[in-house]
Amino acid sequence: MILILSLAVAVLFGAGAYLLLKHDLLRVIAGVVLIGNAANLFIMSAALTRGAAPLYPLEDPRTTSDPLVQAMTLTAIVISFGVSALLLGLIYLVYVAHLSVDMEQLSSAEEEQAGVDDELAAAALMPVDGDEDEAVAIAMSEHSE
Amino acid sequence: MMLLALAIPWFGGIVVALLDGRKRRTGLVAIAVLAASFIASIVNGIAIYRHGAQEMVAGGWEAGVGITLRLDTLGVAFTVLSLGVLLAALAFEVANGVQTRVFPALVLLMATGLTGLFLTGDAFNFYVFFEISMIAAYVMTSYGGQPRQLRASFIFAVVNLIGSVLFVIGIAAVYHITGRLDMAGIRDQMPLVSTSPAILTATIIFVAFSIKLGLFPFHFWLPPVYTGTTPAVAAILSGALANIGTYGILRFGGDLFPRELARGGNVLLILGSLSIVYGALQAISRGSAGEVLAYSAIGQVGYILIAIGIGGRAGFVAAILYAIINSLNKTALFFAMNLRGWIVSAAFAIGAFSVAGVPPALGFFAKLALFRLGANERDWWVVALVFIGGAMSFIYMFQLYGWRFLKPADGDETPTPLVAQLITGAVALALVALGVWPEPLLALSQHAASVLPGVAP
Repeated sequence: MILILSLAVAVLFGAGAYLLLKHDLLRVIAGVVLIGNAANLFIMSAALTRGAAPLYPLEDPRTTSDPLVQAMTLTAIVISFGVSALLLGLIYLVYVAHLSVDMEQLSSAEEEQAGVDDELAAAALMPVDGDEDEAVAIAMSEHSE
Repeated sequence: MMLLALAIPWFGGIVVALLDGRKRRTGLVAIAVLAASFIASIVNGIAIYRHGAQEMVAGGWEAGVGITLRLDTLGVAFTVLSLGVLLAALAFEVANGVQTRVFPALVLLMATGLTGLFLTGDAFNFYVFFEISMIAAYVMTSYGGQPRQLRASFIFAVVNLIGSVLFVIGIAAVYHITGRLDMAGIRDQMPLVSTSPAILTATIIFVAFSIKLGLFPFHFWLPPVYTGTTPAVAAILSGALANIGTYGILRFGGDLFPRELARGGNVLLILGSLSIVYGALQAISRGSAGEVLAYSAIGQVGYILIAIGIGGRAGFVAAILYAIINSLNKTALFFAMNLRGWIVSAAFAIGAFSVAGVPPALGFFAKLALFRLGANERDWWVVALVFIGGAMSFIYMFQLYGWRFLKPADGDETPTPLVAQLITGAVALALVALGVWPEPLLALSQHAASVLPGVAP
């Protein structure tokens, strides 16, 4: 039983980690959900050493599994559910802003922003002789094209 | 009183979430609620000072069954610090004009999470409060709603979720090897656990906190997030939320896993030194104010880690002192980053002096504590590192000061609200005032460190 569970945790975690490395943000979220579920299974397996299900009336307390981990797992499931909903909402906003959920397009937007920042900083460092505003304006307009 | 400190921001947060946060009135209500919980935490602190640490079990359960809440100096010091930073940031943002409906409620809910996390005596409950404050932080990073903030928020949420998952795996592992979830029980059981599972569990938990803290090999998410968000949110992330990482490493390392911490001390020293050098070099080479401060945050965390790595009483005192001072520094600097005016300029200069460790700013005492620590332990390279790191932070802070303030203001910049300038000034003034009269803060960190039983004689 322990072996099966640990294999299941390993497969879930591995699949989640694989999806995390994808470009499509929806897959990234699927990966986060899978990894969260791997953690839930891991919590469950942390107390599966004694056997019988902890249902009342208890037959023999010594052979009954620990019910506490199930309460913990339930809490963790609720939290990961809430977080997945939040992430999906966030992705929707990202989609509205960029019309894309592809990581590569987002990072090219990031580089463009960094380019604007650098040019603004460079413009700010130029000797102050009245051209400064112009330089900033040039830096801005180059990127708006 | 202990429950009150937790209940005020919690229920206040729920009520404020129903109101429109963009209205000034709602902002003022949120500030009042946060101020009340700040005062409640200070009252708790005074109670500890008079009567010693207190414990209670929530919901009237027997001890060992219910969730324990524990009030000690370490927890209260971090609570007061984090609530103070949140209060300043909220007031700052209300003065500038809140842009989204939920922002004041988010600050209150994060205050709930942080207060609960610093007060709880139960490892799983720690995780729950940790998630409460992190979820508030995920939403908060997207504050502003520009594409840039959304990207930052997404990176932040995904990376820190992995950190949270690692942490909950660590907690499950602790439960498996000790059979306990209350911290007192874990502390009793840990010495009986054999070495390799204990080391493995401690490592997982350490990695989880390092991700929050933005330590060197786990820092990759930090710069885009800090540069992407607005100054108030960046101040909250580095001044209040990063305290989770410091407190977590101190509490779990110093209190629950002292044996594993002593064994891993050298790893902490190496990671800390790498963080300092890497953060400072990157900060010197960066162009925008946000990036310089973000890399500086990575470097400053390294000093805290070095102090914890050296360990012992003096090490923990230095770590607590450094953490408190660092979060005040970062708050002042992030506030001053995008503003104009002589108050802000002075505040930024004070913050910069404090980061570099120049008296009379408070940062001097942080550097002094580390310097003494290195000299006492005869770790001369720590002394050298403090000097070199200090010199490099001097360079990047004043490079930044030169760009930001030593040139005439552009005409088109929006005028800064005076209240926001005054709040920035007040944080900087606190840095100087505590730097001139540091005894209370020194005594506080001494007292907080004495809570940790891992303190070796």
